[in-house]
Amino acid sequence: MKLAIVLAFRNLIGAGLRTWLNAIVLSFSFVVIIWMKGVMAGWDRQSKNDMAKWEIGGGQYWQEKYDPYDPFTWRESHAAIPAQFEPGIEQGDMIPVLVTQGSIYPQGRIQSIKIKGIDPDQKLLLLPTQKLDTVMTDAIPALIGAVTSRDLKMGVGDRATLQWRDANGTFDASDVLITGVFNVSVPSADQGQIYVPLARLQSMLGLPDEATILTYKDSRKERPVVQGWVNKPEKVLTASIDEMLKMKSTGQSILYFILLLLAMLAIFDTQVLSIFRRQKEIGTYIALGYTRREVVGLFTVEGAMYSVFAALLAAAYGLPLLIYQAKHGWTLPIDSSQFGVAIAQTLYPVYSAGLVVATVLLVMLTTVVVSYLPSRRIAKMNPTEALRGRIQ
Amino acid sequence: MKNSPVIRTEKLVKSFPMGKGRFTALNGIDLTFTQGEFAGLIGPSGSGKTTLLNIIGSLDTPTSGDVMVLEKHIGHLTAKEAALLRKQSLGFIFQSYNLLAVHTVFENVEFPLLLLKFGASERKKMVMDALEWVGLTDKIRSKPPQLSGGECQRVAIARAMVKRPSVVLADEPTANLDAENSHNILQTMEKLNRELNTTFLFATHDDKVKSYLRRKIYLVDGTVASDEIFPN
Repeated sequence: MKLAIVLAFRNLIGAGLRTWLNAIVLSFSFVVIIWMKGVMAGWDRQSKNDMAKWEIGGGQYWQEKYDPYDPFTWRESHAAIPAQFEPGIEQGDMIPVLVTQGSIYPQGRIQSIKIKGIDPDQKLLLLPTQKLDTVMTDAIPALIGAVTSRDLKMGVGDRATLQWRDANGTFDASDVLITGVFNVSVPSADQGQIYVPLARLQSMLGLPDEATILTYKDSRKERPVVQGWVNKPEKVLTASIDEMLKMKSTGQSILYFILLLLAMLAIFDTQVLSIFRRQKEIGTYIALGYTRREVVGLFTVEGAMYSVFAALLAAAYGLPLLIYQAKHGWTLPIDSSQFGVAIAQTLYPVYSAGLVVATVLLVMLTTVVVSYLPSRRIAKMNPTEALRGRIQ
Repeated sequence: MKNSPVIRTEKLVKSFPMGKGRFTALNGIDLTFTQGEFAGLIGPSGSGKTTLLNIIGSLDTPTSGDVMVLEKHIGHLTAKEAALLRKQSLGFIFQSYNLLAVHTVFENVEFPLLLLKFGASERKKMVMDALEWVGLTDKIRSKPPQLSGGECQRVAIARAMVKRPSVVLADEPTANLDAENSHNILQTMEKLNRELNTTFLFATHDDKVKSYLRRKIYLVDGTVASDEIFPN
């Protein structure tokens, strides 16, 4: 094996440009696969982080009737905040959020909107709720995300009529004044939503001390089972991201496959050409004391060595590139808030040792197989014909 | 040692399938070669000399009969045993040199020693000795495409001789060389034959080679037509 490696190395170095062309093509696969997987890992991490910081904290209790995907449940999904959570709320470890369905009339248009009541003093989420703490006599202070701001064509200082139904089903309306617009990469904390002070919403709906969602801080703490409330740990709430990334990964696998296929095609082609052109050399190896099987091994090692060269090349130009990307991120060329998924405008790829090792192993293993397949032909060669360079 | 048989063929027959029938390349060859011989198989194309050389070199097997090389029955050897015999005891010189084009002269000559797992310092010494025999110590870093035909064949001789084999099989070694180079390499081989007592067996139809041989075996249509031994 050691000899095969030495000889394969000499043969490849001696082959010059042909070797490096193959290695360059293969190195693209290394770099692109690692980069794309890194982007996915970075996206996963960023999305979950942002979701935790902006919306779900360490997890949530949902009033048992609450279904975020069914607006018809929102008016019914509220209950008194359980007494056992009061200390946590006072300490800032938990925040209650009241949710209801409403309509907003910006510039005379009507648009459905999810109204969320949140404590302006909360520090658990990054939402700039302190901007809700504005003394208003005639309008409700409200906070919206940038996407909603664009959809409603409303900015800070704009007013619109907000309509809702209270606990008894009576329609009511009042003006809201936009006191803040925030940027967030989590669509479910922005799109089609308006934040108002919790106490104000409780009063508007006639639901004092009631909430729909109780967001808690610490995901590691054991959470009690509470009648009428369903605990949704962070992992459950971010499962949609996992699902989405899984789907995206499947799509990406096709790209990896195409990339690898191109690189492997180059290696396969080189191997076939080598065996075709190097008949005399094969015969010489056998005459000098190699068995045909050993020559098959030599050619396989030679092919596999492309992946070693490619890994070194990839490390040479890919490492600085990947490190730069991890540091400065990759800014998406189009506005990510339009995607409808939790994705930041600038993604910071995350590369783990496992990712790099797995990619290198995958490419190497594939290269070994692709190198071996055409080399098997050598085992059937007649050495005397090979020595004369006759095509077999 | 001088007269011990190193190669013996008995009723050797080699035939190949050809169309619906078979072509007999060798037909009942009985020959014995002793250590230190400088012999040649002479004959026109198709007379069977290369086939015989290939069988003796364990690159091919007889259809019937027996071939013993260094007390090993060629017909009974496994692929591994045949490779071991070639690796340890046989040297090959080919008409078109068969050097490894991307390797340097040094690496080409070193190759058989790598197969035999010699240590680096020992390899270096043996390669330099072999290159000194053929007068190419100044070309160790050159690659075969940078050498002349004569130089390539000298590298091939050095590669064949570097492991000090018992037998060297040379198939038309001068066919691609001019007269001067032919004489040079034949003198080199004759010198090595005398100094190292290596058996040289040629397949040739070149008159220049014939003039150096001490034993001439004429093959005609796969049979031995004559076997002449000349005094030193």
